[in-house]
Amino acid sequence: MSTTTPFFFPREYSFPPFFTRQTNLTTHHAQLIKWAALVLAYCRHHRLFKLSLSSAISDPLSSTAEPTSDTTASDLFHNRQLNRRLSLADAREVLDFLRRDGRVEPVDGTTGDVVWVYWRTPEEWAGLVEAWVDETAQRGGVLTLYELREGDATRGAEFHGMDADLLQKALGVLVKRGKAQIFGQEDSLGVKFF
Amino acid sequence: MGNTSSRVTAQDKAILDLKTQRDRLHQYQRRITVLTDRETAIARAMLAQNDKKRALLALRRKKYQETLLAKTDAQLAQLEQLTSNVEFALIQKDVVFGLQQGTRVLREIHAEMGGIEHVEKLMGDTADAIAYQREVNEMLAGQISNQDEDEVEDELAALEAEVNGGAKVQQPLPSVPDTQLPERREGLETPEREEPPAQAERREAMLA
Repeated sequence: MSTTTPFFFPREYSFPPFFTRQTNLTTHHAQLIKWAALVLAYCRHHRLFKLSLSSAISDPLSSTAEPTSDTTASDLFHNRQLNRRLSLADAREVLDFLRRDGRVEPVDGTTGDVVWVYWRTPEEWAGLVEAWVDETAQRGGVLTLYELREGDATRGAEFHGMDADLLQKALGVLVKRGKAQIFGQEDSLGVKFF
Repeated sequence: MGNTSSRVTAQDKAILDLKTQRDRLHQYQRRITVLTDRETAIARAMLAQNDKKRALLALRRKKYQETLLAKTDAQLAQLEQLTSNVEFALIQKDVVFGLQQGTRVLREIHAEMGGIEHVEKLMGDTADAIAYQREVNEMLAGQISNQDEDEVEDELAALEAEVNGGAKVQQPLPSVPDTQLPERREGLETPEREEPPAQAERREAMLA
């Protein structure tokens, strides 16, 4: 599900002071809110589930190509037209702000460089999956995780092609609610819905 | 996890295994598709460099992979068929279980009714009771004499006539006047129509 339409940046993106940390506390707060909304919208548009801070900040100078890897977002913090970029510390502050909101979470095992960006929280994803299972009358059925992500049946569903780990997180929510159970071996996990 | 793990049965695990296998084939197919695309690209590039031999080699490899793809397609179909068979068998099992349950309940209800003899006896008793009731009815009806009966029927007929008669009175609609309008015959000229009253007036005046 690759999006071909370009992402439309908000008005603030072409406003140079947006990329500089504001000293006024109120202005700074407003700036953070704008940035947070931008990060979420950007990731939603490009269907980015993880964001790598260092690669988002330090992109090669010459590269004007589209982001290729699934964790790069080179033009998010760097407006090439203005030749302005958000500093690493400021970007971290934005992500920290999102984390307090529950929209960003460090990926386990990393030092906080790669983070989950929850433009949909695992709970919301769980709701989507559950609604889909209900709609297709697959309660009591067994589905593989691969099938959920890549199968023909889920084509067109919101969660088609989503990150494997995030899907597992979302299913974990359903497991906790007693609506599903994950079983099977590590590389061939399946889920049964109740 | 302890009590929930019991909800996954051995069948579920078997289905999962089948589905995993299917997913593997699916992935394999995707890989092969990528490979064939690449071989085509290589062949094209080699042709552009006028290296016919290598282009042929690439195309041959592509052909081989395509046969693999067809084979996996067949296997995939087989796996999917098996999976749906297993799922259908599970449903059949449920249906049989349901039938069993229903039969058991039905039998229990029959047992509560006490068997066919009991029902026969009951039916016989009912018939006796009905016959008895009829007898009683006849005895009571006998007290009304035939004459009384005739009178009652006459009254009924009279009532019926009244009801029907009353309905009939309301039915007829006022009759449509059938007198012809003479003016229509004379034509459409309006002045002529106004003449007769004028003449009549004149006549009256002359009479006076």
